[in-house]
Amino acid sequence: MILTGNEINRRLQKGEITISPFCNNQLNPNSYNYRLGPKLGVPYQQKNEILFEFIDMPENGYVMQPGCTYLGHTLEILGSDTFAMSLIGRSSLGRLGLWLQVSANLGHTGSCHRWTLELVCAKPFRLYPGMKIGQISFWLNQGDIGLYRGGYSSFNEPHESCINQGMKYATT
Amino acid sequence: MILTGKAITENVVNCQITIEPYNKEHVTTNSYDLTLGSQFIRYTGEILDPRIDNKYEIIECDEQGIVLKQGDFLLGHSCEKIGSQNYVPIIHAKSGIARLGLFVHITADLIDIGSFGCVTFQLYSTLPIRIFPGMKVGQVSFWKPMGDITLYDGKYQGSKGPAPSKVHRDFIA
Repeated sequence: MILTGNEINRRLQKGEITISPFCNNQLNPNSYNYRLGPKLGVPYQQKNEILFEFIDMPENGYVMQPGCTYLGHTLEILGSDTFAMSLIGRSSLGRLGLWLQVSANLGHTGSCHRWTLELVCAKPFRLYPGMKIGQISFWLNQGDIGLYRGGYSSFNEPHESCINQGMKYATT
Repeated sequence: MILTGKAITENVVNCQITIEPYNKEHVTTNSYDLTLGSQFIRYTGEILDPRIDNKYEIIECDEQGIVLKQGDFLLGHSCEKIGSQNYVPIIHAKSGIARLGLFVHITADLIDIGSFGCVTFQLYSTLPIRIFPGMKVGQVSFWKPMGDITLYDGKYQGSKGPAPSKVHRDFIA
């Protein structure tokens, strides 16, 4: 089951969901709109390696180019030890051709941090730091929960893939 | 929990879900198939900027359909108007469409409970493709919510065709 906006708010008050900072007018009927944090990972190639340069986006925006994946992050710390999460875009930004993740929407129960966003655009797109850019929904679990700890959930800034480093994470 | 096709049908009959027009042949095991309408929107600016009302043109296609080149981005719409005040709809491509490399939404699959209208498809082609009005391109599933419901009353309510982004309204203080 997916939590309604009212239930997200209720569970936030009970401490079962973290959204920080929280703003009531970002609550939707069944999700919460998150904002874009100030740091952006811009990819570049060095020999056979793709690396990221992390910049602070200017207030007047940063123009992304199509055919490329940039790494952004949520402004808010988002998480829950009770519910599973799904981090997606907003229809208002999908209608402008902006992807917020690359088919990796699932947020594991126990993660609580500023999430890395995989930003891709269909057409050149101007990103503004602080804009309401995506939404997170919360889902009821069935079964015993082994909380996700460590791994990417220990990062609060956009973080590149650690797939070749055998990243360690713990399940309690 | 996700509704089965049979549960979707029961809820349409009981007016808990609205699908107009409704065709029982479009019911699948866990979803309802959505067909493509004939109107499209193409943005005409060089850079899409969420702070402004981006300019666009409206394209009307006939039964010959419309060809998308690799990397094209258009907004289309479902023929069906859909919505529910009891379940949360989620949009998906038909797998047959995805296998042709066409996105029907851009990380925005979740529909607010209480929303009603045509679905705006966010069409992005990774391969050249011709699409036709009336073809099944998407599907909608329905999910049970938990908690008190406040119905959607937002800026896209009652969409009749493809609805361009209104995100610039976010920036009006």
